[in-house]
Amino acid sequence: MLNYIWAGLIIVALGFALAADVGDLARDTYRNGQPLPVTLEFADGYRDDAPRQPVTVRIDTAQFRALYGVDGSPAAGYDATFRRTQDGLELRFDDADAALPAPLDVIRDETNPRDQVLQGTLAGVTLARGADGDRAQARLAFPAVRFVKVGAITTAALDFAETAVSIALGLIGILVLFLGLTRIAQDAGIIDALVKVVRPVLGPLFPDIPRDHPAMGMIALNLAANVFGLGNAATPFGIKAMEELQTLNPEPDTATDSMVMLLALNTASVQLIPPITLIAIIGIETNAVYFPIVFTTLGSLVVAVTAAKVLSKRRRYRETNPLRDGRQPTPEV
Amino acid sequence: MDAFREIVNVVSVFVLPTMIVGIPLYGLVKRVPVYESFVEGGKEGFGVAVRIIPYIVAILFAIAMFRASGAMEALSSFLSPVLALIGMPAEVLPMAIVRPLTGSGSVAIVADLAERFGTDALATRMAATMFGSTETTFYVIAVYFGAVGVSKTRHAVPAGLLADAAAMLFAVWLCLLFFG
Repeated sequence: MLNYIWAGLIIVALGFALAADVGDLARDTYRNGQPLPVTLEFADGYRDDAPRQPVTVRIDTAQFRALYGVDGSPAAGYDATFRRTQDGLELRFDDADAALPAPLDVIRDETNPRDQVLQGTLAGVTLARGADGDRAQARLAFPAVRFVKVGAITTAALDFAETAVSIALGLIGILVLFLGLTRIAQDAGIIDALVKVVRPVLGPLFPDIPRDHPAMGMIALNLAANVFGLGNAATPFGIKAMEELQTLNPEPDTATDSMVMLLALNTASVQLIPPITLIAIIGIETNAVYFPIVFTTLGSLVVAVTAAKVLSKRRRYRETNPLRDGRQPTPEV
Repeated sequence: MDAFREIVNVVSVFVLPTMIVGIPLYGLVKRVPVYESFVEGGKEGFGVAVRIIPYIVAILFAIAMFRASGAMEALSSFLSPVLALIGMPAEVLPMAIVRPLTGSGSVAIVADLAERFGTDALATRMAATMFGSTETTFYVIAVYFGAVGVSKTRHAVPAGLLADAAAMLFAVWLCLLFFG
């Protein structure tokens, strides 16, 4: 089941990304190869020889909307650098945080992911000298943008693989602290102390098991370890309990009611101590969620026990019960 | 109700301190060599963190891809009437789906929410409550029945999943009650 969900996440992600990208190509969302008309203002005057000069870029809202077919508006002006390079004239916006309307924001992120500033080449520059600074009309062309989402899911996969490791390693300190504490509790006999609390309520839950059968003891140990959040200690007790229950089972490949009840109690997980990994992730915040956890775990315990009891009475499960009609396990030869 | 919330908030402050101080104290009373026990148990910490890395990577990158593709948005808007009905924020949805299937993967989801929204955000708290209050149902069933060779599990899966579904709902409602 997990295999399908996991693979499904990845495949659906690829499918969605491809659909979005093909849609963008069909609509030509980024108008690849069509330059954006801009006006450049040289406040200090235009110089023929300077490799770089500061400019203010004005983008006409009507022209912008007409080109990209969107409703957004560019800001009144953007600070940028006018650059003369071997490849021709370039315009590089200065401010990485400048608010750019869609789709310019995507073009920025896609074409210059390292610096996150908008950058393009200039063509058709016509200069007009003026008393309060020089102005130029130009066409600003951006590199072609394609397959944005496919790139995005790939980046997400790589980034989060890295994040995952730093998360896991960041847990070490608190894990050590609480695993140390639980070892003290275990060595101090907390499980045996809790068994005394758990034991009396087990009789009604497991009517199939004789009172003094060793299965009862193992179930009590298993539940007590669970209550204290000792998952690692609980599992061996649980398996031992299952082995004991199997000796009472005439059909070894079919679960008895008691087995299902034990499983239900384990999956509902009566927990009075929060899981250590949770403390490691959210730290002191564990205090706040402690009572929601305790109430939830009690509520789900009630549902689990009720479900196990009620379902076992349903015809389908009654007829498959290995202990139906007072059957007994065949004594071992 | 407010008074109840107030009392719970005050008592909550002492949950972790009680564990950190109370357990060594209890150990001392029971004449356990507390320092040695602590160090011995703590040694497992590094191993646990390293062991869960592949699980966390597997879940985190798959969910990150799902989110980056826009599929998560589509799914949550598709399910928004149901989510709104039970009061669950869309960000918590992956937790409710993944929790019965993988424990370490659920760790990844809580950690991801804590990174993106902070440890005190409602979504993080709900996911934390779900994580803390239920077990990895399919893992428990596989391990326990596998150990004794039972293949016909009868009503174990429906009972376990009913309990999980109830836990998810309780977690949402209790978190809305306490932090909403």
